[in-house]
Amino acid sequence: MEQTSQLKLKAPSKLEHIIFSKWVVYLLLTPALIVLIGVFFIPMLLMLVQSLTDEQSNFTLANYALFFSEPFYWGVLWQTIKLSTFTVLGALILSYPVAMFMAQSKGKIRAIVTFLVLLPHLVSVVIRNFGWTIILNDRGMINTILLEAGIIDQPLRLMYNELGTVIGLVDSFVAYMILAIATSLYTINPSLYKAGAIMGANKVRNFISITLPLSLPGVYSGIVLVFSLSMSAFVTPTLLGGTSVKVMPALTYQQIMFTLNWPLGAAISFILLGTTIFLVSTFTKVTETKRYKVVFKS
Amino acid sequence: MMKLRFSWLGVITFFILMFTIAPFLVIVPSSFTSENFVSFPPEGLSLKWYTGLLDMPGLTSAVIFSLQLAIVTAILSTVIGTLAGLCIAKYNFKGKQTINTLLLSPLALPALIIGIALLVYFTYLGLAGSFTGLLLAHILITIPYVIRFVLTGMATFDDNLEKAAAIMGAKPIRIFWDVTFPLIRPAVISGTVFSFLISFDNVTISLFLVSAENMTLPLLIFNYIQQNLSPLISAVSTVVILISLIPILIIEKIYGLDRLFGLNSNSH
Repeated sequence: MEQTSQLKLKAPSKLEHIIFSKWVVYLLLTPALIVLIGVFFIPMLLMLVQSLTDEQSNFTLANYALFFSEPFYWGVLWQTIKLSTFTVLGALILSYPVAMFMAQSKGKIRAIVTFLVLLPHLVSVVIRNFGWTIILNDRGMINTILLEAGIIDQPLRLMYNELGTVIGLVDSFVAYMILAIATSLYTINPSLYKAGAIMGANKVRNFISITLPLSLPGVYSGIVLVFSLSMSAFVTPTLLGGTSVKVMPALTYQQIMFTLNWPLGAAISFILLGTTIFLVSTFTKVTETKRYKVVFKS
Repeated sequence: MMKLRFSWLGVITFFILMFTIAPFLVIVPSSFTSENFVSFPPEGLSLKWYTGLLDMPGLTSAVIFSLQLAIVTAILSTVIGTLAGLCIAKYNFKGKQTINTLLLSPLALPALIIGIALLVYFTYLGLAGSFTGLLLAHILITIPYVIRFVLTGMATFDDNLEKAAAIMGAKPIRIFWDVTFPLIRPAVISGTVFSFLISFDNVTISLFLVSAENMTLPLLIFNYIQQNLSPLISAVSTVVILISLIPILIIEKIYGLDRLFGLNSNSH
């Protein structure tokens, strides 16, 4: 006791300490902030300005107006939203059982499943998409098997269309959904199930009244993540959707790299970002109010 | 009853995991085919596509370029990110929360938009299509990961160890190298390895910044796939999978992949 008070007395004056650490703070943060401002904030600002100017560098909203006046562009935006929604649904269906299995298992098994969920995710999306090409193309694995088994006599069109795109997107992003749901399932207090059982609830009842409602925060954040990622995915729609699937990122890419209409390309990507943020925040708002309603009812 | 239900869930999980691993299960065998078109199951057995790798135009230079880019990115991001991460974890200063959010913000925006913004910017600066441009872009998107690794590593850090060293008369630099750094080393190394992986895999940002002379491996594959589906790509992909597996296993060994939770949110 006496020693600690002595140590306190012997510590250097507070003022000195503050000055020292303030300089250290600046020193440590400077490189990261330089990169952040120089390679992120300034470019983003420049892009925003670019989308709001015409050839004579005058302020204009023409690029945004052009997008909204053209039904073709509307169609592309709608297609993007539609595909992202299907991707979310697909990911949700595949994720829930895996997340439940992860929550029910322990130790080694859970670690192995987690590893297998994350593993594909750490290899380039181009390579995973190429793998799907081998499975889905006209002479691919599924068509070969079905043709040889005599189930079909014409190869099924499984890629270079919306189906292939959604399969590829689900595969790309399912890991986020699984982890989001699993984390919320991990936090469920097991005694709730005991309490449920004591009250006479069977497995199904327990699932409906305990597991499902308590996993909803994870489900919601998984939906938000997968939806936002799908909206801005470029590689998978290009490789598995081909030319027949037109999505916003591909449209942007085309404007930037081929048509070389940078202002329009920049405007399109901001419209994409704005739409995504709008849809995601509406979704969050709706699900949150719903949750409060449940609280007030009970 | 309990056991039965459990195993059903296990069976379903098994099939879903097979779905997510399916691309790898077909790529590797298909690279050994003796046919000239990717097929599964592969016909015949041959190594001709692996020897063919040497003749694939641009492959060797793309591999070397990607490795160089990923290594330099990993080193620079680790240094910059670790400094910033330590600062946020250890010091209390005004606006700390805001700075933390801002430093992680590159991960919140779609890679596509960052790619376009950088293309516009680098064109003004004359850096479009250069190594430096790609390097800056990759550093930008990997720093947030390093910071997050360091912050998680520091979450369990005991400040008293540093205080003890200071009381024993150690100088700040010595405290850092002998006390602080060894304790966060797994987090820092994982950050380095993860940065390497992100840079080595990146497509969406590199897409806008590569040029014919400076071509990364994923972009070379991306361009090639759109023209033809040759087993050559299976062979290239198998090699890339093997290269990627090394960093993945290192992270799993020293840090645990499961701790990556929420870390990887913008790798596309």
